[in-house]
Amino acid sequence: MGVEAGTAVAGRAPAGGLLAWIATTDHKRIALRMAVVAFGFFLIGGIFALVMRSELADPGLQLVGRDTYNQLFTMHGSTMVFLVLTPLALALGTYIVPLQVGAADIAAPRVTLAGHWLVLAGGLTMYSSFLTDHGAGKAGWTAYYPLSGNSATPGTGMDLWVVGVILVGVGLTLVAGCLLATIVRLRAPQMTMLRLPVFSWTMLATVLMVVMSVPVLAVGMALLLADRLGASVYESSGGPIAYQHLFWFFGHPAVYIMFFPFLGITADVVATFARKRFTGYRPLIVALIAFTGLSMSVWAHHMFTTDQVANKYFSLTSTALVVAAGTEYFAIIATLIGGSILLRTPMLFALGFFLQFLIGGLSGVIVASPPLDYHAHDSYFVVAHFHYTLFAGSLFAGFAAAYYWFPKWTGLMLRDSLGKVQFALMVVGTNLTFFPMFLLGYDGMPRRVADYAPEDGFTDLNRLSTLGSFLIALGVAAFLWNLILAYRRPVPAGDDPWEGHSLEWATSSPPPRYNFRSLPPITSHAPLLDRRLEAKPPPKRGRRRVAR
Amino acid sequence: MEALVDTREEFQDLWQVYLPIGVAVAAIVFGLVLFTLVRYRRRGDEVPGGREGPPIVEGLYALVLAGVVVFLLAMTFRTDDRVIEVSADPDVEVDVTAFQWGWRFTYPDEDVTVVGDDRRPPTLVVPLDTTVQFTLTSRDVIHSFWIPEVRFKRDAFPNRETRFDLSFEEADGTGRCAEFCGLAHGEMTFDVVAMARDEFDDWLRTQRRGGEIQHGEPS
Repeated sequence: MGVEAGTAVAGRAPAGGLLAWIATTDHKRIALRMAVVAFGFFLIGGIFALVMRSELADPGLQLVGRDTYNQLFTMHGSTMVFLVLTPLALALGTYIVPLQVGAADIAAPRVTLAGHWLVLAGGLTMYSSFLTDHGAGKAGWTAYYPLSGNSATPGTGMDLWVVGVILVGVGLTLVAGCLLATIVRLRAPQMTMLRLPVFSWTMLATVLMVVMSVPVLAVGMALLLADRLGASVYESSGGPIAYQHLFWFFGHPAVYIMFFPFLGITADVVATFARKRFTGYRPLIVALIAFTGLSMSVWAHHMFTTDQVANKYFSLTSTALVVAAGTEYFAIIATLIGGSILLRTPMLFALGFFLQFLIGGLSGVIVASPPLDYHAHDSYFVVAHFHYTLFAGSLFAGFAAAYYWFPKWTGLMLRDSLGKVQFALMVVGTNLTFFPMFLLGYDGMPRRVADYAPEDGFTDLNRLSTLGSFLIALGVAAFLWNLILAYRRPVPAGDDPWEGHSLEWATSSPPPRYNFRSLPPITSHAPLLDRRLEAKPPPKRGRRRVAR
Repeated sequence: MEALVDTREEFQDLWQVYLPIGVAVAAIVFGLVLFTLVRYRRRGDEVPGGREGPPIVEGLYALVLAGVVVFLLAMTFRTDDRVIEVSADPDVEVDVTAFQWGWRFTYPDEDVTVVGDDRRPPTLVVPLDTTVQFTLTSRDVIHSFWIPEVRFKRDAFPNRETRFDLSFEEADGTGRCAEFCGLAHGEMTFDVVAMARDEFDDWLRTQRRGGEIQHGEPS
């Protein structure tokens, strides 16, 4: 079963120095670079959010003008969706999936590398729009036509934003394609599909959605670019709604692209810190596949108020997601029951994802009902809803992944106590920031406004929200400090500091160039747990019985 | 005269179905997780391991969830049918044109048109407890006609008309543009004044025909 290091490569010797850094085809280095770039964009997008929150703390315009504000929320949304959460999800997959499936490398690493550089180039293109006369893209991250057309939003900045999104879209599709090929073709011989760890399964669902939906975004944006350059693509009376269909056909699967990998991380982390095999593995896989299929048929629930889509159909498919999502929640709770639970930082962030995402998910059921959405749509209620899913949810699991896998990536530990401080700051900050937005939206505050009137009665809740956002910033600062500490006063991690269940913990930290010197027997989706139980079987009788 | 469509009441009735279910689900999940964290916290070096059971429980559970989904959808569909119904013979008609960045309200039967100016938004004057039919369009980009008080909004597209009925029980409110439409999107508001039917008729009769009147705020 051994995979010999180095046998998979032939040809030229690896380059050294700068070229090795730029042109590496090691999936681990590419992935770390993707993650670092995504984290850099996260910090910038976060600063945009702090400026917006500061502006909204009081009625009146104090800090930025309306035009700047419109650029800020456009770039905040575009950054977080296109340059942070989706690339971060794919970066985690690019690092971890080849290890979890027992592969020596990712499939077509040069294509992965090209994808990474395209995403970065797209991001820089988008950001270069700040340097133009008319400023950056300012039609919202959704860039609805005709607002995004040349007559409503003239200027090179908007063009550059569109070009940037196209580049990012192509880059993400390439990276996802490589991951798909890795899972399908490069699994170790004993690694059957039903022995894939949950994280790898969620990545499989994710990359399927990426390759099905992101090309549609790239096409929609290419047509928008042509339109802006004078081709009248969307100018007919049906054009604006056609644009929305193209956008959301990408945009809704995109939401689950930014959810599934983080659900997978949570599943792996919860099983590890409960010292228990992930329970309900097969139902979870079925739910994932059903969810993936349904995800391609829910897009127009973003368009209930247009009066131009079949509201009932899209309400049906969207609400039906409850069954799949509920099965996933069931499995994670079943894994906790009967476990031996240790609350270290990765586990805290994973549980933070699990519980806070629930609030996002439940409010999602509400906005999936057209009569309720007629009020909630495009209000702060929706802003609260998707920040509970994407920030309070996915990003928390992103931090779980950082604390969980940082030892694998670097061989070093992050400080657990500082991690808990970060967690506390972020839980309080997140809920203080986003919960008031539910109430603001319900009370009639529309999204994407730089200002509100004193008599609107929005001031107090907005102040709470602004206060919360700065607590989040403190939490992120604690994380940065933790990273610095990890390198300045290193604590070696060893190969398997958490007693992990899947194959990435069966190699050194960081893993060698081709990942494994030899592979342990792959007996289930938790091969290392199997090995541990063989060495030390659980007590037959005891105070606590093994669950189910 | 057909029955009034009270969008606010329809919303509240449906909301009172969804919200308690959501709160209950959240309470159960939060409770279960907190329970497991206390009950199953690590005490020694035991490795419970765990085994895969037959997925009967999951199957039953999924059926329960499906039942909840069907129930919610049934409620939603019934409400939606009532909310989006358009009367063939409305009592009052108002044509609404949205533009960057303002609103124009026309009462076609009386040829009365209300707009705002740089300092004040226009006023939408409507009769109380009457079916008012709106015909909505946009002159440029997409806007959205939202009156939070009646819990309803509808998008305004260029080159396209959309029609919906509302009725008003409360005297005052603020209408807003909900779809981001450029620079002054946040200021694109209108005042809503609802008055008794006979007052409304008086108001409408005394307005200047043809051309545009500013604000239209009743004295």
